[in-house]
Amino acid sequence: MRPVYVAGAAVRPFGKHPGLTPVDLGVWVAAELLRTTGIGPDAVGAGFVGSVYGGSLLAQRVLQRVGVSGPPVFTVENACASGGSGVHLGWQAIAAGVYDCVIAVGVEQLSALGGGTLPLTTADIEIEQGVVMPATYAMRAQRYLYETGATQDDLTRVAVKNRGNGARNERAHLRTAVSAADVDASRPVADPLRLFHCCPNSDGAAAVLLCSEGFAAQLAGPKARIRASVVRSGRFHTSLRDMTWPDITERTARAAYEMAGLGPTDLDLVELHDAFAIAELLHAEALGIAERGSAYKAVAAGEFDRDGRVAVSPSGGLLSRGHPVGATGVSQLAEAYWQLAGAAGPLQVPGAEIALTHTTGGGIFGVDNGACSVHILTAEA
Amino acid sequence: MTVTPQETTTPRLTAAAFTRSGGATRLRIAVCRDCAARWFPPLAVCANCAGTNLVEEASGEQGTVYASTVVRVGPPGFPAPYVLSYVDIDGVRLLAQTTADVALEPGTPVWLETGAIAEREGVAVHSYRVRPAAAEAGVAR
Repeated sequence: MRPVYVAGAAVRPFGKHPGLTPVDLGVWVAAELLRTTGIGPDAVGAGFVGSVYGGSLLAQRVLQRVGVSGPPVFTVENACASGGSGVHLGWQAIAAGVYDCVIAVGVEQLSALGGGTLPLTTADIEIEQGVVMPATYAMRAQRYLYETGATQDDLTRVAVKNRGNGARNERAHLRTAVSAADVDASRPVADPLRLFHCCPNSDGAAAVLLCSEGFAAQLAGPKARIRASVVRSGRFHTSLRDMTWPDITERTARAAYEMAGLGPTDLDLVELHDAFAIAELLHAEALGIAERGSAYKAVAAGEFDRDGRVAVSPSGGLLSRGHPVGATGVSQLAEAYWQLAGAAGPLQVPGAEIALTHTTGGGIFGVDNGACSVHILTAEA
Repeated sequence: MTVTPQETTTPRLTAAAFTRSGGATRLRIAVCRDCAARWFPPLAVCANCAGTNLVEEASGEQGTVYASTVVRVGPPGFPAPYVLSYVDIDGVRLLAQTTADVALEPGTPVWLETGAIAEREGVAVHSYRVRPAAAEAGVAR
């Protein structure tokens, strides 16, 4: 396989953009990506646009508006991993030698759906019981606290850390730091989770330029090399699932570490899918950056702080950036790219050379998540 | 429920997943004779080995709570708050609405029962659900 590089990134700041359509958001980032990398649309061999609620042919409706009109483009739906899955498909195409330059976009416009919990539309038996995503994560949290001796305060520490990081990120939806008292005072959503333990529903878009070594050499801007790109699906069963061990993350990360020839102790930063505060604890353990049952101790000890042992979600994570579902995975790649380029400004993790991004999600019954994507990137001198 | 609807309905997938007879609510569990996988709701094709050699079992009426929560923000048709639990019954772990005011502790014994879990346009939505086996369980401590 050929090496693949990220050679540019653009993010439309996440937030509430009720007046904009998914196409508006996608066109904005695609145009910004082409402008900042200086490449013309004719150089783009293929495009992948991740979105959950964006509708049919979103890839065409976005990319045709920036001159990428005619090449193969694909709309990719894989729940929370839609954007990461689009990047993965672009990576495949370049690694295989089919194209030299691919644009990967993630887009979501959730304001149009109204407030409250995300609508679940897959008609399964748990939806008939009234499940919502916060309830699933609340039960994971209750069980994790029960098994490990962690407390609700440990969930709150995750929210305080990530909101503090996000307060520095001009692309984040929620840009105010919060105290533990603020989290405790936010309204209950699904016990033991309160509102500030949950990511906001956001609108936004992100794009990255993926290219081959030869193509990258023609570009002036910084590059990061994709050392691993892996997607896995959930393992379906209805027997005694361990809800404190997201095996989909463990399987995806293990394959990524193997592909990269790197391990969890090599990582300088992780952009982790913290849709809920408990998710940082569960996935940190499954990613191998904390021993099982001990991630809450790592958070309390500051090991996941921006200047800690491994920075976890220095961008603010989903808890701050928000979660425009299809855009999340691509925005993680963008945040990691800027970190490795030394261009992350007030978010910069000192000496960042190796980054991992992780998206997982999809509330369908019988799996711990529907889809998971993990990417490992390294700085290129 | 604040009103007592005169009509009831049961969602399609739920209706095919349990039986109620003589006051006993039981789950329909499919067991694969080739690979021993257990499926709730029951499947005609084993989702583990793709075999079609499955037999259906009726579950017992008792289970144990694995995890539980009080949902404070529910979807349309589900007036919050309500309690959801993952419950272990005869080798399957399933989600069920729970007749309680608080989240049940892991390990709490529960009984299967049938009752309303939602209400839509004046029609009560009926399903299997669980209640704590001990009368005092599920009450705020």
